[in-house]
Amino acid sequence: MSTAAPSRPAGAGPAPEGPRRPWLSRANPAAKLIAAFVAAIGLIVAIDPVTSGVVLAVALALVPFARLGRRVLLRLGVPLLLMSLSIGLVNAVVGEDGPVAALGVAVRLLAIAVPGVLAAATTDPTEMADALVQRLRVPERPAMGALAALRLLPLLAGQWRTLSLARRARGLDAGANPVRAGALFAGKTFALLVRAVRTGTLLATAMDARAFGTGPRSHARVSVWRASDTALVAGSVAVVAAGHALSIALGTWQVLFG
Amino acid sequence: MTGSVSSPSPEGASAPGPAPRLRWRTVDIVVAATVAAAFGVVFWLWNVTFAAVSGLFLVFPPSQGLMMGVWLIPAVLGPLIVRRPGAAVFTELVAAAVSVLFGSASGLAILLLGLLQGAGAEAVFAATRYRSWRPLTAVCAGVAAGITTTTYGLVMNYPTWPIAWMLGYYAVIGLSAALIAGLGSWYLVRGLAQAGALASFPSARTHLDRR
Repeated sequence: MSTAAPSRPAGAGPAPEGPRRPWLSRANPAAKLIAAFVAAIGLIVAIDPVTSGVVLAVALALVPFARLGRRVLLRLGVPLLLMSLSIGLVNAVVGEDGPVAALGVAVRLLAIAVPGVLAAATTDPTEMADALVQRLRVPERPAMGALAALRLLPLLAGQWRTLSLARRARGLDAGANPVRAGALFAGKTFALLVRAVRTGTLLATAMDARAFGTGPRSHARVSVWRASDTALVAGSVAVVAAGHALSIALGTWQVLFG
Repeated sequence: MTGSVSSPSPEGASAPGPAPRLRWRTVDIVVAATVAAAFGVVFWLWNVTFAAVSGLFLVFPPSQGLMMGVWLIPAVLGPLIVRRPGAAVFTELVAAAVSVLFGSASGLAILLLGLLQGAGAEAVFAATRYRSWRPLTAVCAGVAAGITTTTYGLVMNYPTWPIAWMLGYYAVIGLSAALIAGLGSWYLVRGLAQAGALASFPSARTHLDRR
């Protein structure tokens, strides 16, 4: 799992710009977020394989531009394929609309997920927060507060390890008993929650001491919106529209619950 | 040190805007976000630990709804702790963002689901004008989050199901959301208050007086 992602040092800005960074990583996170949402919301109404197939094809064509390693592609792609396969199967077996609609649901699931996965895999949390605040005008305090909490993720994961070790040292072990394992898990969850609330309270005190959110904020990192970002958003709208148009022209268009 | 925030509005009475009861302090923002982050970690570990069990749900898909309540806890727990408008949406959204970081199968699209889940619970707390934090309110908030989640799940994943299955899916998730996300969150807050973790929040007082 990508536990390494949240553990980047807090002070590190976005990686240096340059031709070495693949195009999709350089795109503004806000543009990628909007494009992923356009695909998700634009495809909701149609459950035929053609409409979603067009969007999925374009999304898959973008994969090389993300320049993800083979291992990352496998780690992201296999669960996605399994998910859409199993959901397509359930719709085929239980559903009332036949195998084409089931295929449509599976393809639509992929067409919605692949842009979102690409966007997530190529976006740094800090850059995302910068883009949300500077480009999408999300209120600053919640955005920065959330980012601060995300920086605690490695700490929280470490505390979970400590809690597990403490329980093992006391001889508490579930063995093969799943009910016991569930109870142990719930206990550790509560302990982690106590630690999280205390850590959060402490962090808030430290942030208050530095006058967090009491005045206008300047930005160390500027979130740049380029013409290519506008093109990305416009392109996502165009592709979704093209999918619907092609499907209607072919007579395959099928509306949700229709 | 951290328990010094006993006055309701440490952010200066001069600040314009909503009543102090409804204003977000820094500690509200950060603790709601940290709770969400903790649940992000818990969800991820849950998936890793119980991956084998989750395969069983595929045999009878509506049964996976039984576990759905767990994913709705942040939407109810966050508001119960900080008691601020928007806490349900904020907490569930941050929890969704964490699952994106840990490699959720749907990427950024999962934020849409988090938004819907939070909005469901938010509607109930807003209907009480952010004045009621009793177990019944928590259960209603859990169920409301369950309804939006189920609707999303049916629209996205199972639009071809017969209507009876859909209603059954609503019932199963509603029950799970009422018990796990609703009552469960209320007892979690009670436990947190009794552990002394909520000294900075008004929610601690109600729970400690009740004993």
